[in-house]
Amino acid sequence: MGDLQHYYDIVVTLSKKDFKLRYRNSVLGFLWSLLNPLAYMVILTAVFGYLLRSGISNFASWVLLALLVWRFFSVGTSQSLYAIVGNPSFITKVRLPSFLIVLSANVASLLGAALEFVALFPVLIILGVRVTFLAVLLPVIIIMEFALIFGVSLSLAALNTRYRDFNQIWEITLQLGFFLSPIVYDASLIPVRYRFLYFLNPMTRLIDAIRDIFLFGIPPFATDYAIIIGASGLLLLVGGGIFHLLERRFAEEL
Amino acid sequence: MAEYSIYLNGVLRRNCRLGSSNRGGHSVGGGTISVIEVNDLWKRFTIPHERKNTVLHSLAVFLSLRGERRFSFEEFWALREVSFVVHHRESLGIIGPNGSGKTTLLGIVAGILMPDKGEVKTHGTLAPLLGLGIGFHPELTVKENTEVYGVLMGISRKEMKIRTESILEFAGLTKFQDTKLMHLSSGMQVRLAFSIAIERNADIFLVDEALAVGDMEFQRKCLDRFQQLKQDGKSIVFVSHSLEMIKGFCEKTLYLLGGGIRAYGPSNESINKYLEDIKEGTLIPSQIVPT
Repeated sequence: MGDLQHYYDIVVTLSKKDFKLRYRNSVLGFLWSLLNPLAYMVILTAVFGYLLRSGISNFASWVLLALLVWRFFSVGTSQSLYAIVGNPSFITKVRLPSFLIVLSANVASLLGAALEFVALFPVLIILGVRVTFLAVLLPVIIIMEFALIFGVSLSLAALNTRYRDFNQIWEITLQLGFFLSPIVYDASLIPVRYRFLYFLNPMTRLIDAIRDIFLFGIPPFATDYAIIIGASGLLLLVGGGIFHLLERRFAEEL
Repeated sequence: MAEYSIYLNGVLRRNCRLGSSNRGGHSVGGGTISVIEVNDLWKRFTIPHERKNTVLHSLAVFLSLRGERRFSFEEFWALREVSFVVHHRESLGIIGPNGSGKTTLLGIVAGILMPDKGEVKTHGTLAPLLGLGIGFHPELTVKENTEVYGVLMGISRKEMKIRTESILEFAGLTKFQDTKLMHLSSGMQVRLAFSIAIERNADIFLVDEALAVGDMEFQRKCLDRFQQLKQDGKSIVFVSHSLEMIKGFCEKTLYLLGGGIRAYGPSNESINKYLEDIKEGTLIPSQIVPT
């Protein structure tokens, strides 16, 4: 039990440190993390909402909700790439289960994402988002996404330690993922025969779920939960496996 | 009592307590019971000639027809046949030239590195002080850094809250607790790190080169602190180049050369052997064994 307490302390301390550093130049740092999704919202609304006439009503809030979900994933996973590589002494000088370092980075991203969501909520309200009792489902969505991010992060942190250019691959993958999720277009544009595959993407489900809650006022479908939880579980297994496999060589790679 | 063993196949089984919950916990009677037992330890490092640590490079090598190039590397025995025992209340010094395996040995005893062969048994809680200022960040304040490093060293957050004040006082940095670390001189930073590290409570301390820090007055304070720990019945393993310090502090000294034991016994004898070797100029770095 002493171990668990120590591990808990480590995660709290490291994520607090990580979080502080990300927003160290405090007001400005945090302001940028709000301006980024807002700027994207404006750009995407201009291009897809007006120029390409998507025909989606309330496009700005529709796209901003998806952007917040996507940003949590993309920032969370990208930061985790450097969790191990960026802290070699945690591996070579301290005895501690190294997955805790990845977990700490993820927790810092979680705090950031939660803060972003809260701070941008007034904007969503102004843009016409309806807040119903369904908003209580938001923490559930966030926790499910966190599990997904942690699973992916375990793979990424380990692979980026073994192959130092893995961040490049991930950057491209994220770009691909952005367009493989219904962020700027509606999923109904996907040809019917690919739709089954398309809806296996947990990010699609997460984005749909958050729009259901805040735009359409309906609870997410059971299949949404099933796919998200299933995918998170699978990715946690794979990530855990990869991490475990590569972990023993971390000390020599760093 | 905590204990861990490392088996031949590299599978680590341990049942080791971190944290300072059972401080002074186990009742060891005399001075003959061992707290660290190291048996026939071997550690090999492989150094590839060409590091394939990018995906592109690995792909290129994989696709190229000259497959033989893929397996060129050097093998290097960082430790060979190392055995020793540290008894309760005893301190051990580890000396030797650079690259002789001192730090590797300490890493294995600490449970951070895995040996290729051999066994390490420890009895009691272990505090590895292998690097000073791990996790320090120049942009964070002295106080914030104190918490991070303390927790990494195995002190609980609860305890850190209580002890931060006395740590900063020991380091002489109370006035600067809200200053960013980068505004401190490097000497002061090491001083801070050391003050935190020795707050850790444990039965066995593994200390790597930590004493060569700070000014004379601070070194005096540190030595006093270790002396105190010793009187409290703690065991300390020192890796150091400061032979005077080792002589004054450790009953026994292990002299490593090229990954093997060159001398092991009373500190005086081991240190004299080392000084002889230096005089004769016979010191060689660890042996590289090409394969």
